[in-house]
Amino acid sequence: MEELLEKLLQAVEFGKVDFKSPYPPQLKGENGAYELTIKALESGVGPQQILENALVPAMDRVGKKFSENKIFVPQMLMSAKAMGASMLQLKPFFTSGEIKTKGTFIIGTVKGDLHDIGKNLVAMMVEGAGWTVIDLGVDVPSARYIEAVNNNPGAIVALSALLTTTMVNMGEIVSDIKANLPTTKVFIGGAPVNNDYCQKIGADFYAPDPQGVVEHLSKLAS
Amino acid sequence: MKKHTIRLHPLGKEIQVNDLTPLIDVLHEFGIEFPCGGKGTCGKCKVRLLDGEIQITYQHRQKLERLALAPDWRLACFSKCTSDITLEVEQFNHLILADESEFDFTPQKGFGIAIDFGTTTIVAQLVDLTSANVLAVETMLNPQVKFGADLISRIQSCLDGHTGEMTQIIRSAIGTMIGLILKRQDVHLEKVVLVGNTVMQLIFSGCDVSPLSMYPFHAGDLGMKVFTPEELGWKLQVKEKVQFYPSIGSFVGSDILAGIAATGLHRKENFTALIDLGTNGEIVIGNIDQIVCASTAAGPAFEGANISMGMRAVTGAISSLSLIDGKMEVSVIGNTAAKGICGSALIDAVAILRKMDLIGMFGEINSGEDKIQLTQKVYLTQKDINEFQLAKAAIAAGLTILSNKLEIQVADIHEIYIAGGFGNYINLTNVVETGMIELPEEKIHKMGNTALIGAKMFLFEDSEMTQEILSKTIHVNLEGDPNFQNIYVDKMLFQ
Repeated sequence: MEELLEKLLQAVEFGKVDFKSPYPPQLKGENGAYELTIKALESGVGPQQILENALVPAMDRVGKKFSENKIFVPQMLMSAKAMGASMLQLKPFFTSGEIKTKGTFIIGTVKGDLHDIGKNLVAMMVEGAGWTVIDLGVDVPSARYIEAVNNNPGAIVALSALLTTTMVNMGEIVSDIKANLPTTKVFIGGAPVNNDYCQKIGADFYAPDPQGVVEHLSKLAS
Repeated sequence: MKKHTIRLHPLGKEIQVNDLTPLIDVLHEFGIEFPCGGKGTCGKCKVRLLDGEIQITYQHRQKLERLALAPDWRLACFSKCTSDITLEVEQFNHLILADESEFDFTPQKGFGIAIDFGTTTIVAQLVDLTSANVLAVETMLNPQVKFGADLISRIQSCLDGHTGEMTQIIRSAIGTMIGLILKRQDVHLEKVVLVGNTVMQLIFSGCDVSPLSMYPFHAGDLGMKVFTPEELGWKLQVKEKVQFYPSIGSFVGSDILAGIAATGLHRKENFTALIDLGTNGEIVIGNIDQIVCASTAAGPAFEGANISMGMRAVTGAISSLSLIDGKMEVSVIGNTAAKGICGSALIDAVAILRKMDLIGMFGEINSGEDKIQLTQKVYLTQKDINEFQLAKAAIAAGLTILSNKLEIQVADIHEIYIAGGFGNYINLTNVVETGMIELPEEKIHKMGNTALIGAKMFLFEDSEMTQEILSKTIHVNLEGDPNFQNIYVDKMLFQ
């Protein structure tokens, strides 16, 4: 059992989606996250245990390596895909409530901006840290963030922007959210923003990379 | 260090350079092109030595003999400056297209000026409309660079309320350039043609740039803009008009329209592509039936932005790297100690490091260190390599997505032309090696400044060709493609 979880952890860390996946070369001919999750469930490992003892630590390693420049976007995405293959098997347990997530995280790229790779990476990493993630997509106006929080009380909201010209929309969206839902925590991220800008527009938290978001979230959850 | 003076005819230009400076490093600023990339095979960069000395190496002599050139000719790409010299630049006597034919034109009366108005540099050429000969050239750095290097920062400056000032300084700068040309060649102008990207067009025309700051990027009227010299505040006579040619879409301007005209891809049966590697990178694929185009954010890394030791192609920059007997050899602009690396050498470096197996398929530095030394002083960090991956993936993904739109494969592209000053310098073998262009090297051709070539062609055309191209061309937003992320991330790998 321990061995299965360790194998699953490695499959996710190195981005082995399933048996037939050619990546990564060093795990060729091995089972991937998909098969290993089915096996783990069959041999009686609890779904919460799969999440907490394999997926979460695997994605934590991935996030750390990414922020240390040890791996880049393609490997991170591969790991996220492997995690996704495993999550698909765990889905019924999320729906039934057998798996408890740490909370709900709502994310979207702000109005006027279509860039979503950075936003997607954050969404994947936060999901991999054991949160329920609601991805609103790109070009998202204030009203849609507010609607999503109303449907998920207590959720944390994250805004992403890639351009200096669209970053200004973050200020407007933060004000709108705070005016309607004063207790909601709003995070911001993206290439042009920094901590000063975060303070200036009255957002609650800025992180330079996905791992920063994950680490701050675990502080909030504990 | 010893300095020398180079005098260029028929331009009437004087340049001061360091001893041993290769001519290729200084001449390209004047719109002189090196179609074979400095291999000495095409002879297009030949210059006639009117005064002074250029020493000929054995290799240079062989090339001159093969091209059957008279004794007073030299190849600029093989020449170094070791004394004061006066040169006649052959290229300004002809308008040359990459397919090696001079373009067809119907001779007209008088003189015209063609201007390529780039984000970073501006080139203006005076053309004799009876012969299509270039009589004079002026180049300058776009004075708007003080408002930011790239398009997004220029747009930001407009949003911050500097539009009027930016319009004013650019109109006045271009007016001054034309004035300088007319001072040397006292002629009457029939017309002036300007081409440039959409942002440059809008700023020059005094139009609102703000719609380009965010999605859905609905800029207003991007059509042909016509001015009188008085409207622009120019104290000079233009008999017909000053025309800024129409943009194709929100981020693809008349410089690309001119590029399409220069390649003639709109009249070819086979699919042909054009990649303009400027500050903003644009890609076009098309044929006689249909043309698709898009812009990508590939430029910054190739211009040294976001690269820790990156710099523009100026003195002290490593301009190329090669692998000789398993060792990296660098060539430095201005023949001085290497201070940094420019875009063309960045491509070489990544291709060579991958070949030496110093970096892996994901771009990771195999030693586990955080940087690789290229020379004693110049290095590439892991982050630099990642920046390069983003840039090359932007081009490769752009080619793939545009091919998908046309329902063809990248491999179905018959020929691909590389435009832009930077494009002149790149080593195509290494470009292919990195996976930036997934086609065999023999299908890829350097074409120099296609915007300027096209602008000169427009001096001889009514707007018919422009209408023909515009009616066939569709502007594509790459980020809007549902497969963008998967394709883009996949192209970051080194296969």
